[in-house]
Amino acid sequence: MDPPTEVIAPVDDYDDEYEDYDDEYYEDDDYYDDEDEQPAPPPDSTARKTVRTIGELLITAGLVILLFVVYEVYVTDLISAGKQDDATQALDDQWSSNTVATDPQREVKYDLLDGQAFAKMYIPVFGPDYKFSVVEGTTDKDLEIGPGHYKGTALPGEPGNFSVAGHRVGKGAPFNDLDLLNSCDAIVVETQTQWFVYRVLPMAGEAAGWAEKQANPKCAKVSPLGAPYDKTVGQEIVLPTQGEVISQVPHFTGEVPAAQQAALMTLTTCHPRFSDRQRLIVHAVLTMSYPKAPDFVPEEMKES
Amino acid sequence: MYPWIWRHLPGPLPVRILEAVVLVAGVVALLMFVVFPWAEPKLPFNNVTTPQ
Repeated sequence: MDPPTEVIAPVDDYDDEYEDYDDEYYEDDDYYDDEDEQPAPPPDSTARKTVRTIGELLITAGLVILLFVVYEVYVTDLISAGKQDDATQALDDQWSSNTVATDPQREVKYDLLDGQAFAKMYIPVFGPDYKFSVVEGTTDKDLEIGPGHYKGTALPGEPGNFSVAGHRVGKGAPFNDLDLLNSCDAIVVETQTQWFVYRVLPMAGEAAGWAEKQANPKCAKVSPLGAPYDKTVGQEIVLPTQGEVISQVPHFTGEVPAAQQAALMTLTTCHPRFSDRQRLIVHAVLTMSYPKAPDFVPEEMKES
Repeated sequence: MYPWIWRHLPGPLPVRILEAVVLVAGVVALLMFVVFPWAEPKLPFNNVTTPQ
């Protein structure tokens, strides 16, 4: 019977100690209250001021960088949307006032002025609201307005390589989702007189089983291009220095007569997103063209 | 820095708050319309072209 008694006794002791501790705690609290009422003036030394100012500057720098992200991702979109609207308006005015289109005997002539739109592009799989006016030139100023045509590369519908660069982040980000394009997806280009339907070429691994893919009506007129186009695939990621992706025959250094050149379209943008370490390239081939007519819209525009 | 600015704003509290808001808006506008457009092309993360 003795051991239980011994066990109970220490517990009583502990309670007493706890009460004692409580008292002490309240005494401490009173002590701190007194100090709050009469705070000692903080020593406003030079060191203290310096540290405080550095802290404030660092917080400010962080806020400025956050603000820059907001600017880059949202505000440039707004600015570019205004410029894109202006360019589209100017193009519509030009198309409706210029009557060259009505005379089939006359050859189409593009008025290529830097920073001015000369064509519109649509990617129907990105939705019916995906449309951009393509401007001439690829300087920063041109690309702020919209996708820009590399000067000197082919024009829409021509044999060669109609090459267009566009932003992926901010500034309207026309090529934001370029990595989501699959083979055979349509890229429709509208000029003053014609509609051109380009379709993304087979991807690198798809050439082998292409016969099956061609059962898809979208792919009927798309097939891997033979030599000298053997390295030209639907999508590739290259180094920023690899300008050969927009040459007349991509990745091919020799001369190919214009008659033997395919009519390609190449889109370039930065990769990975928010970086310029690489370039994302999409190659497409001309599969169809229609003359423009009032109220006529190519059926490819309804694809999704 | 911020306490120093706050101490030097004239007027009663509501006026001071208004002044502070105007100051912040001015700095944000300066950044958005002058500093960022100037600095942005110098940063390398949005190059989308390849050489021709």
